[in-house]
Amino acid sequence: MNKSIDKLLLNPIRLKIISTLISVSECDFNYLKKITESTQGNLSIQLKKLKEHDYINIEKKFENNYPKTICSITKKGKLKFEEFFETILTYRKTTKH
Amino acid sequence: MKSKEEQIEIISKVINSTKENLKPLSVNFIFWGSLIVVMSLIHYSIPQFVQYTEYSSLLFWTILPMLGMLFTIVYNIKIRKVLGYETYLNRVIKIIWGIFNLSWLVMVVTSLLNGINNPVPEILFLLSTTLITTGIIIKFKPILIGGILLMLFTIYINFNPNINFLIVNIIGVSLGMLLPGISLYFSKVNE
Repeated sequence: MNKSIDKLLLNPIRLKIISTLISVSECDFNYLKKITESTQGNLSIQLKKLKEHDYINIEKKFENNYPKTICSITKKGKLKFEEFFETILTYRKTTKH
Repeated sequence: MKSKEEQIEIISKVINSTKENLKPLSVNFIFWGSLIVVMSLIHYSIPQFVQYTEYSSLLFWTILPMLGMLFTIVYNIKIRKVLGYETYLNRVIKIIWGIFNLSWLVMVVTSLLNGINNPVPEILFLLSTTLITTGIIIKFKPILIGGILLMLFTIYINFNPNINFLIVNIIGVSLGMLLPGISLYFSKVNE
């Protein structure tokens, strides 16, 4: 049976964000910017979308008078990523046969 | 929209780019191993200086390690900032060694309150259990072996209470921390 694919994770930037956060306890904005190879503005928009859907947590703090954004994945985010990964693997298997 | 193959490639590439970096842990081991060995050598070589007053030895063995703790906390925060992320493994190790530091402090203070001057065997036993736990978690045999050797050494001390604790420190910490730390620093797991 084919599950419907999570449209939120079809966006490559959002997929990169979630894939990063699934493998770390937490990470900062600059690291995500480097990994996703996106602009600051675009990354902020995608993070906001993931936060709105409760896939990630965003913590904002100040460090040496500079704002710092720390991101981590939520339980829902982990679950959605696992479902997404299973779905694409299933799609790939069925298209190969 | 990307194809399924491309999506799998993105996930795989991103996850692989977040590497476990154990070099900072090895630097911590080398630092602590060297500090304790050097302190023990100083105490052993010039006891008249370290034991100048009733409390000077106690101050020597609490102030310097506390400064060491401060240094390692600052170093680890700096490394975390440079990397930009913290893996689950690094978080677990941080918690384990944080609890070790806290336990060490509690043991030193309670020993002082109970009039025990040398809680060396207890501290080394605690250190050995923490090393064994770390070695198992990071799957690095030299640290696991170092921890086991230190534990055996600690058991040996209990049957030979007259042994010089400074010599015990030098041998135990060299085997348990310094050598495994150097081995981890040059290990392939960091490449």
